[in-house]
Amino acid sequence: MPQTMTEKILARAAGRTEVHAGEEVTARPDFVIAYDFPGYTDVFFKETREDFGIAQVERPERFVLFIDHMVPAATPKEEELHKVTRAWGREQGVTVVERDGIGHQVSAEQGYAVPGAFVVHFDGHVSQLGAFGAFAFGARKGIIESFVTDGATLTVPATVKVELTGALRPGVMARDVFHHLVRVMGPASCQFQAVELSGPVIDAMSIEGRQTLCGQAMFLGATTMLIAPDERTLAYVRERSRITLDPVYPDADAVYAHHWKIDVSDLEPIVVVPPSPANTRNLTEFTGLEVHSGYLGSCASGRIEDLRAAADVLRGRQIQPGFQLHVVPTSRAIMAQAAREGLLETLVEAGAFVSSPSCDYCFGRIATMSDGQRAVSTGTLNTPGRMGSVDSEIYLCNAAVVAASALEGRIADPRPYLATVASAGTNAGSTTP
Amino acid sequence: MSLANLAGRAAWVFPEDDYDIDLIVGVRNIKITDVAELASLAMADYTPDFAAGVQRGDVLIGGHNFGYGHPHYPAMRAMRHLGITAVIAESFSPGFFRGETSMGFPLITCPGIRDAVSRGDPVEVDWATSVVRLPARGLALPLQPFSASERGMLEAGGLIPYLQQRQVAA
Repeated sequence: MPQTMTEKILARAAGRTEVHAGEEVTARPDFVIAYDFPGYTDVFFKETREDFGIAQVERPERFVLFIDHMVPAATPKEEELHKVTRAWGREQGVTVVERDGIGHQVSAEQGYAVPGAFVVHFDGHVSQLGAFGAFAFGARKGIIESFVTDGATLTVPATVKVELTGALRPGVMARDVFHHLVRVMGPASCQFQAVELSGPVIDAMSIEGRQTLCGQAMFLGATTMLIAPDERTLAYVRERSRITLDPVYPDADAVYAHHWKIDVSDLEPIVVVPPSPANTRNLTEFTGLEVHSGYLGSCASGRIEDLRAAADVLRGRQIQPGFQLHVVPTSRAIMAQAAREGLLETLVEAGAFVSSPSCDYCFGRIATMSDGQRAVSTGTLNTPGRMGSVDSEIYLCNAAVVAASALEGRIADPRPYLATVASAGTNAGSTTP
Repeated sequence: MSLANLAGRAAWVFPEDDYDIDLIVGVRNIKITDVAELASLAMADYTPDFAAGVQRGDVLIGGHNFGYGHPHYPAMRAMRHLGITAVIAESFSPGFFRGETSMGFPLITCPGIRDAVSRGDPVEVDWATSVVRLPARGLALPLQPFSASERGMLEAGGLIPYLQQRQVAA
């Protein structure tokens, strides 16, 4: 029978020739990824040892732990958590990656995003490894199965095929495309399903734009999202992959639960208004709304093309006095590249507060808002209270919108600023890798 | 081993689709780890009498895609502490479903449930016949069956005891 990418990956990982949507399988994860977080990793370590009597995890090389939340630590208790993580890694022979950036990005940079791989994390945003053709899913606390055994049990998801046609207009970024999908398809449209993204828009899109799209799969209700590897993917992973697997492609006659064809030629920049990531609206409906802070970063955004877009808007300009613009590159490698390209200089001169990579801005652990404040954000989520007071508001948007809003102190359209840049030869939201 | 049938009342009906469960204790409180404190905060933003009114065995009723957003654990920890034994909804967000099922807490998919139930109605879950019964309304709605491992986790009381049983059996 023909198979989807998901079915092929899970069949191999389950040691089978084929599996099909709807059947439950126990498959062998190629990688088990986690970040340290209280109530998660500390508990997994303890359960593994005490509830299962396992002194040494099987195949420690399949694990990688990231220290990316609570970085830098703000309390002794937080640092204690990191110490426990480092000690467990040493004891088990498990790699612990610290201060290299947000794990979902760094795992791609460091070779855990292998086309065809089966990857388990507890956090669903790991779906962004699907940008490289891996099947990566968030098992929540179910990940403990992969600590105490060499397997992970799941029901093989059916696949929704989403073909994106047309071409993106200037000023429209991957971020906008994702939220547009939520608007068109619905936040529950892909429940318990995998999404295969394809089409000319994906073909033309940078690796990092694809990461942005795939990482937000949960907001379509999906288990994960995948893109079949192309030359761009293979070039990225060639020097990085930690294991060798055959890339996986869907069969031409694979069976899909649904097939969407969505033309994005007319798509405009969007804004996702509180209180839910399901509320996609056109940016132009909200321009002029006063905002007090802006966050450019997270595992969804904060990569080099996001920083370039923001720098294009901010170059030679000053943000509104009193506006709090926080720019947090997604990884150390990206931050270094931004430095080499002069982007950090541009951002800092414009008045941005630029920090080293950390997850902490995304969930309001720092740069916290108080009652009545309002932020534009490239973070993952806009639930009231996520970035501080429940009486503050989060408007999700692309990086250029954050930058333009910082200039005006109001939700602003970046396209007029970008137009002056485009005529000078660069283009935010461009498709360069 | 088999699951005990459930019988209680609908302690709350969430009419919203895509309900973000962080709102149950309030996003500002999701870093609280003390379960009694979390329980005291449950639904406080909706009604002051929620915690006091819950009886052991009660259930929650939800709409489509219940648990959309980030499926953090404090909300259901609080609810279990109060005596809530299940959530019955039109459908669930997968991350939330996986996370709570591995806690041994049944999330029951039951199309039609939201509009059939009012707060306070008696609700029964009969596993053998795979139905949710609403005695006051004379209704029995079919529930979506669990996979083998989901059923195993619920019967064992969670993923940890379920995996321990598998470890012993192996």
